[in-house]
Amino acid sequence: MPDSVFPQCRIVPLRLLSPATTERLLNQIAGIPGVRRAVINGPSLPVTIPYGPARGAANPNTNRQTIQVRGTEFEMRGQTGMVTLEVRDESVIEAVRNACDEIFTAFPYTLQTGRQFIKSQASLVDYAKYGPNADEFIIGLTDPRRHDSPVIIPAAACNDNGGGLSDQTQTEHTSNYSN
Amino acid sequence: MAYKPQYGPGTSIVAQNRRNQMNPGHELEKLRSVTDEDVVLILGHRAPGAAYPTAHPPLAEQQEPEDPMRKIVKPTDGAKAGDRVRYVQFADSMFNAPSQPYQRTYAEMYRFRAIDSGTLSGRQIVECRERDLDQYAKFLIETEMFDPATVGIRGATVHGHSLRLAEDGMMFDALQRCVLGDDGVVKYVKDQVGVPLDRPVDVGKPMNEKWLKEHTTMFHSLVGTAFREDEEYIEYIQRIHTLRTKYGFMPKEE
Repeated sequence: MPDSVFPQCRIVPLRLLSPATTERLLNQIAGIPGVRRAVINGPSLPVTIPYGPARGAANPNTNRQTIQVRGTEFEMRGQTGMVTLEVRDESVIEAVRNACDEIFTAFPYTLQTGRQFIKSQASLVDYAKYGPNADEFIIGLTDPRRHDSPVIIPAAACNDNGGGLSDQTQTEHTSNYSN
Repeated sequence: MAYKPQYGPGTSIVAQNRRNQMNPGHELEKLRSVTDEDVVLILGHRAPGAAYPTAHPPLAEQQEPEDPMRKIVKPTDGAKAGDRVRYVQFADSMFNAPSQPYQRTYAEMYRFRAIDSGTLSGRQIVECRERDLDQYAKFLIETEMFDPATVGIRGATVHGHSLRLAEDGMMFDALQRCVLGDDGVVKYVKDQVGVPLDRPVDVGKPMNEKWLKEHTTMFHSLVGTAFREDEEYIEYIQRIHTLRTKYGFMPKEE
């Protein structure tokens, strides 16, 4: 996979985050000018019980809440394990680091930087799903198994034009495997 | 001289905890108390107060064939009454949970009778007659083999043992069978397969990190005792590994 044109970083806290902390973190990050896209990863919180004798029954869970990020509401589908960001340039990563320093006071976090955290080139599945002229913002954000689209969050004020980017967030879940 | 089992090697606290759990002569500390009804609710196999359903008539009513083994091996209460076989399954977090699947199986084999265990990387199931199961499950919940935050009673959808803990210190559970209340007490709100309970079942407060580190049976170089610190254990494991590798080549003594 080729490197992304834009720098990326990944926030990995030592603990899985509650919806309240996720909301605080995302509001801080979405308020930073120059954050283009964000992917939230974490273990899935299914709406119904997926396995066992109670399969199909409702699965009330206090961690599956609707949170609000810069005025946009969306429901958490998983418990936040890490947040991957695509940013305009390296200076934005420092702003992200400062925001994380403010939020993660009770437990540490790791901020990884690189250019291969989010897929930057359309794969075969992307081609099959979106065709040859897929929106570059979509690539790497969507989970092929799901039908819901990314959440669009109003961009923070940016000094330069930056291409008029709107920030986009996609929540993604890891599979529930048994072991 | 009578044989005295050693249970396991090692000089570390982890090794000692393993031996303590396995040794039926060692009395494990009772840290919390749950009622029989609480256990029945969490297990979810029958309604509290209901009679034990049976799989066959009581042994006393059956014409059993003459067999010397039947005279030597006395049946457990559950087998005597003809109870169904039911299960309890535990998932143990890798962050210093007091027990872990292999350890559970070893300990249960030494301490309990008439059980059938299933050991996997992140969960361990034990099956036995229902009447016996209630007692065994109560023991496993009340003693130091259980911690409300890092051990989960999970019949299905067990994922979480290898994940980071949540902010409040609870092991991840997609079904959120137990919740940590504002009073610091963990309550089971669903049975082990995820069916909501009529009333929450209180299993006490989570143990603190210091206690977990002192009572865990898991080596963990980052949050607990590192395996490399226990030289005796390493020597033992290396010996086993060497012997079984050589045995694969069927060595012949000259």
